[in-house]
This record gives sequence, C-alpha cells and structure tokens, in this order.
Amino acid sequence: MEKAKFLSDFKEQFIDGDSITVELDTKFRQLETWDSLTGMSVIVMIQDIYKIEMSDTDIKNCNTVNDIYEFVANKI
Amino acid sequence: MINSNISEISYYLPENILDNASLSNQHPEWSVEKISSKTGIYKRHIANKKETSGDLAFKAAELLFLENNIDRSVIDFLLFCTQSPDYFLPTTACLLQDRLKLPVSCGALDYNLGCSGFVYGLGLAKGLISSGQARNILLLTAETYSKYIHPLDKSNKTIFGDAAAATLITADETNSEGIGKFEYSTDGSGGEFLIVKNGAHRSRLLTGKDIFDGDAFLRNDDYLYMNGKEIFSFTAFNVPGLIERCIKKNNLAPEEIDLFVMHQANEFMLQTIRKRASIPTEKFYIHLSDCGNTVSSTIPIALFHALKEGKIKRGSKVLIAGFGVGLSCAATVLTF
Repeated sequence: MEKAKFLSDFKEQFIDGDSITVELDTKFRQLETWDSLTGMSVIVMIQDIYKIEMSDTDIKNCNTVNDIYEFVANKI
Repeated sequence: MINSNISEISYYLPENILDNASLSNQHPEWSVEKISSKTGIYKRHIANKKETSGDLAFKAAELLFLENNIDRSVIDFLLFCTQSPDYFLPTTACLLQDRLKLPVSCGALDYNLGCSGFVYGLGLAKGLISSGQARNILLLTAETYSKYIHPLDKSNKTIFGDAAAATLITADETNSEGIGKFEYSTDGSGGEFLIVKNGAHRSRLLTGKDIFDGDAFLRNDDYLYMNGKEIFSFTAFNVPGLIERCIKKNNLAPEEIDLFVMHQANEFMLQTIRKRASIPTEKFYIHLSDCGNTVSSTIPIALFHALKEGKIKRGSKVLIAGFGVGLSCAATVLTF
C-alpha cells in the first residue's frame, strides 16, 4: 500500500484538495476544510479504494494522516 | 398489462421562507454559508402553525387541476404520502377527497414513507392501474418535517423544507411502459437513525430532554433526530447498487439512461452518489437550492423543473431513486 497514493486519495476528499498542503504528519483536524462531512468522505474512499471498513470511532482515534494510513495498512 | 404514465406534475411551497440570513441570526456560531455551500441549500419554505400536510397537499392538487385543465371527476384513486398527517385518524386522504370534491367512487389512502415515498407511490399506482382497479390516480406527497424539528437543531433546520407535490398517473393503452420496473430495498435495522421517538404508541408521552454534545445540540426525543453519518454511510454504500440493479431489471445499459433524478437529500450526498455510481455530471439532475430537502416531494419537484428546462424530452429514459428514513429505498425507470 503506497504512502504517496494514499496521501493523494486522502487529499482528494477535501473541497479544496487541489490547493492545500497535506503531509503524513499533518494533524488533519486542524485543516480548515476538515469537517464531519470530509470525514465521511474519507471513510467512503477507504472502503472504495482500499476495501477496508473504517468507522467514525476509528477516525476519532487518529490524529495525523499517518495514523489513518497505519490503520488501513495494518488491515490490508 | 395496462401500462401507466406520469401525465402531469405540480407542486406547492408554503409562503414562509427560512433563508440563510435568518439561520445565521438564529445561530451566529453556526457557519451557515459553509454548510450551505456543502449542502447546496440556500432557502427553505416552512408551513405556518395552522398549515398541515393536508393543506399543502390540497394546494398542490388544486394547482395541478388548474395548471393542466384537469377535470377532477376523472380521478378514481387518491394516494397520499406523508409522515406528518393531519390526524391519527381519519385518513387524511379521505378528508382530501372531500376538500378536493373528488367523486365518492374514488379510492383513497394514506401511506407513511419519507424520502422513498414518491417512488413507492408510483409503484402502487402502477399496480392499481395494471390490475384494472383505477385509471387516473392522483398521487400527493406532502411533508411538514419543520413541525418535528427542535428550535436548536441547526443541522436539520438547514436541510429540511416543507412542500407538497401532486402527480397525475394515467392508464396508457399503448405499448409504452411509461413507468418501468421497480427495485425496492428495506432495512429496518437502521430505523433509529432517522426518527421522532416520542408521541406515537411506542412511547406516547412527550418527556424528551435537550441533550447536548458539548455546546452543540444533539437531540431531544420529542423531536426529529437524524444520525447524519449513518444515513450518509447507508446512502453512499447502498444507493449505487440500487441504481445498478434497477437499470438491469429494466433491461437497459447505464448509457441508455438519459437523466438520473435522485431524492434531493443534499448536494454533498448527491455528489457522493454520482461519483460512486459513475454518473456523468450532465446526466445528473440537481434541484434543491431554493426549497431544501422536501422529503417525499423532492423527486416530483425535480422532475417538474427538469421537464420545464427541457432536460427531459419525449422518449427520455429517467432513472429515479428515493432513499432514506426507514431505512427505505426504491428506484424505477420512467420513459416520457
């Protein structure tokens, strides 16, 4: 599971995904356009592309993009 | 089999408007502009205290008769979809038969569905027509969710609007199947995700308390509660499959569908469905900015505008899908 692709897939869920900077160590909740709808979008993306079920609670336990990456990578 | 067609559609929006400026005044801490740009909703119409779903339905029906020069004595069946009826009993449809001066030989019934209601109504109408029980069916959808929404519930206030739609469905002796085959789905395990808990017979007394999540209003059991995340998840993961099965059932290929008109829940949800179901933007119709999510009336209102704008022409194949409270889904293909 490629880190760069995951980062790009993650960024795409943001309404301003083209213009923001997101790295693996970014605390995603601090991004201006992060909200619960973006969170739901991320969950759907992970199911669609990585075929992994991630719940709202699982996301709550993550702080950085890398936390989410690790969660998914561990389940594949 | 006697085929059936949608002949005419009209709709009615109550006069009071709740726009984003008012929402902002009521909830200064709520970023109304941000939410509106994501939900695609800028204005909703709200029934006043004395206006019931029966009143809205009455007005929509009268508009239908007036705008299309319809002789009301041809109506032989009235279907009324609502989750906020005038009374527990008698049936609001029976009262509407009287108010609309429909023939006493008319059949009439209420049915309780929300977002999937219009599509279900077409299914029932098709059944009545194909079995020879009726030939000119008046399908009324009317909803006043505003009466169930708590004054502090800013999210639901942003999304839902009141409205009624009137649709005339007629028997068609030609070979054209104006209303195609249906795909249904029901998952009652998700019932709790969109619910008004108190007031009916499971829990009669209105003893709800305001429950907060930090500063944010979460729920009060006397009022409408919607778990947005669960509803979103259900829709995102189930509706694309429903669409696919419906297209197959109608012996069509996806490219043969000219227009997709979904239940107009909110723009964000609609775009998620569109992307997951690989529907091109130009074939995906959206209309909700000035009326919001009007529950069972979103599809007929959208169809009305799509027809007016020429997005639906003679021979167009339109896939419609309703999904939501219940949890309940239904889809079919219409040929105009």
